[in-house]
Amino acid sequence: MSTPASILLVGLGGAGCSMVTRLSAQLPAEVAVALLDTDARSLPAGTAQTLQLGRAQTRGMGTGGEAALGLASAESEEAGLRRLFAGVPLVVLVTGLGGGTGSGAAPVVAGLAAETGATVLSFATMPFSHEGERRMRQANDATVKLGQKCHGLVVVHNDLLLQQVSPDAPLSESFAAADNWVGGAIRGLASAFAPGALIAVDPAALRSLLSTPGSPTLFAYGVGEGEGAAMKAARAACDCPLAHAPGAVAKVASLFVYVAGGTAMTSTEAFEAVAAVRARFGGETSTILCARIEPALGDRIEVSVLGASLPAPKAPAKPKKGAKAEDPAQPIFEFATEESMRRGLFGGTPMTFIDGQDVDVPAYIRKAVRLPPSP
Amino acid sequence: MTPKPLPSLIAVIDIGTHKTASLLGQIIDGKARMLSFSERRTDGVVKGTVTDLEKLTQCVHEVVNDIERGSGRAVDHVYLSLSGPAAEGERVKGFVAVPAHDGKVTAKDVADAIASAKRLEPPSGRATILYMRQPTMLDNRPVSNPVGMAGKRLEVNFWRVTMEEGNMRMRVGMVNGMSIRVRDFILASHAAACATASDADKQGGVLVIDMGAGTTDWILYYKEHILCAGSIPVGGEHLTNDLSVALRISRETAEDLKLRFGSAMHRDTDVNQTIWKDGDKGVGDQQFNRGTITQVLSLRYQETIEFVRKDVLRRLEAIFPGHAVKLDQNMIPSGVILTGGSASLADAAEAVQLVTGLSARVGVPNFENESLRKPEYAGVVGLMTAAITDAPPPVRRPRGFLAQLKELFRL
Repeated sequence: MSTPASILLVGLGGAGCSMVTRLSAQLPAEVAVALLDTDARSLPAGTAQTLQLGRAQTRGMGTGGEAALGLASAESEEAGLRRLFAGVPLVVLVTGLGGGTGSGAAPVVAGLAAETGATVLSFATMPFSHEGERRMRQANDATVKLGQKCHGLVVVHNDLLLQQVSPDAPLSESFAAADNWVGGAIRGLASAFAPGALIAVDPAALRSLLSTPGSPTLFAYGVGEGEGAAMKAARAACDCPLAHAPGAVAKVASLFVYVAGGTAMTSTEAFEAVAAVRARFGGETSTILCARIEPALGDRIEVSVLGASLPAPKAPAKPKKGAKAEDPAQPIFEFATEESMRRGLFGGTPMTFIDGQDVDVPAYIRKAVRLPPSP
Repeated sequence: MTPKPLPSLIAVIDIGTHKTASLLGQIIDGKARMLSFSERRTDGVVKGTVTDLEKLTQCVHEVVNDIERGSGRAVDHVYLSLSGPAAEGERVKGFVAVPAHDGKVTAKDVADAIASAKRLEPPSGRATILYMRQPTMLDNRPVSNPVGMAGKRLEVNFWRVTMEEGNMRMRVGMVNGMSIRVRDFILASHAAACATASDADKQGGVLVIDMGAGTTDWILYYKEHILCAGSIPVGGEHLTNDLSVALRISRETAEDLKLRFGSAMHRDTDVNQTIWKDGDKGVGDQQFNRGTITQVLSLRYQETIEFVRKDVLRRLEAIFPGHAVKLDQNMIPSGVILTGGSASLADAAEAVQLVTGLSARVGVPNFENESLRKPEYAGVVGLMTAAITDAPPPVRRPRGFLAQLKELFRL
């Protein structure tokens, strides 16, 4: 490839690599793919660029769940990582937290990518409650560190994804559901920046949206098909489990909405969908639109939503003439930490473990029970 | 040792995660007549653990002031309840070989056995708070009074409750701060059982579950004695929290919906039953699916009871190693008595029955004053009952650490 791709999709760690490998077949050509892991076995020789981390530390064996080892492995490969990110405007990092490589290396990798000038958006999956105390603690620590390093962080709770499938579904279906949500999200994002969109948008727009590291990021994805597909997709996006994670940001100041559909999609439909999404998530300050026709979608329409709350301005802006002075004490957004998202009112208190589960997390989330729809 | 004369005034304080209640009673013919009662919202306790001592101290002082003002009597000592994960219980035993000359047990043998049981030091950093008598065994047969009986090996058992020293000092100091002595600690679950279970229940076997706001304490009686007790750091606040997370509503709204529409059982008919938050359908009113509320609450409620069931089994297995212990109606003929604030949730007894397979009922404290005949007051009423019945306790704790500590704080 002579010119660097506009988007680099990076899979980090075992979970990240396997998800990116599964996705890579469906991605537009503009998206380059890179796989990073300490375990040599998850780096297949093929189309993707691969980089084995921490050859000296782990000798190709993986980290065995040690985050410290993952961290050291990534740091030792700094030069290679910088080469990988050079000239790429948008880096999408996909990783599974809880294990060693994901939890330890992700903040380092994201930090290096940001240093080379890329906008970094991370998708991180949190372990299932049944995976026990240590992995959950490790994942919680990692989200805090990772959130400070990248421009946008979308946390995907495996527990919540489990709720989306029927209780008697086979295990493979639960994992397929996880793939589906994250995959659709990344595919939508990737296609948004590919040339040929009806309403085009460039990665710089995304950068302005996600300008502040550490601010809470909203992500939702929905698909609809048949009659009224656009509205169905918008409604599905509004009900998306990613946006309904406990404590997730409910309303944001800036939105990026991407609508993709088959040749039959009309502009009215597309704008209806955008309006529905705005009604649910906000986007009063700015809403960036992007629409695209993809014949392969047929009568299906996909809606992806990415949003961020603007942080409080560093220096108070001068009030406009005649404008009411704002109350300086009023918080513009509440920083939703990973912990408070799942633990609600118990956020900030020490975790209480019984049978390896943090019992302050609502029982229905840990048991992955899908709740009846709201009226 | 002669039993101390029963004081005519008894004051008890039950510090819970949600509220602190205090009761002052006059003892006439072994029965308490209520002089005054006070309850206040507890500050500074989360999940049964003290997080802000200053606020909690102030709260305790307020309830004491309340009961003093209400009765016009000065309080100089109180009984404190002990609940939550801070109080850890275990079985300790001591035994003696009965001297062979005539093979009969003497009172001295019993005293020696008790002394040997109490010689066992608690884990370092923990102080013994109380001993509760368990069945005495003579040659592996339970006997109520072994003196005069023939046998070879006499074994006495106690349920010993220990607490981290710093934590205990803190609690004692909190009350001493207003020149009041802590007369004794009483296990909260034991108190709840004293208020709700009859002697016949305890004789046969009964499991009392006291589900408060921050913790769920349980105690198991078998053949009149306390067999074991434990605590799960989950309570009514978790029900409220789950609901607030699931419906994205404030704690206050969640608490209100829990009381009005909640249930410990989820039924298919709840789904699509629309309920209104305020009911006036005005501005700001919200509607919810009742099925969501009962689903969220029933999962948490039943899970908590399941934690209790597992905890009971785990402790029983530690006491009877190698035995297959089963929790069934044969072992616990009186079933489960559910009490505490969270016992008032609709269908609570039914959920307990479903999870444990034992018969269950909600326990209401037996007290002369009608306003206190609610499950949430089982703790404070039970403290009074326990303080009266245990006043000359079966076994007096020797003047040890606690006594010295009291001196220390009485400077």
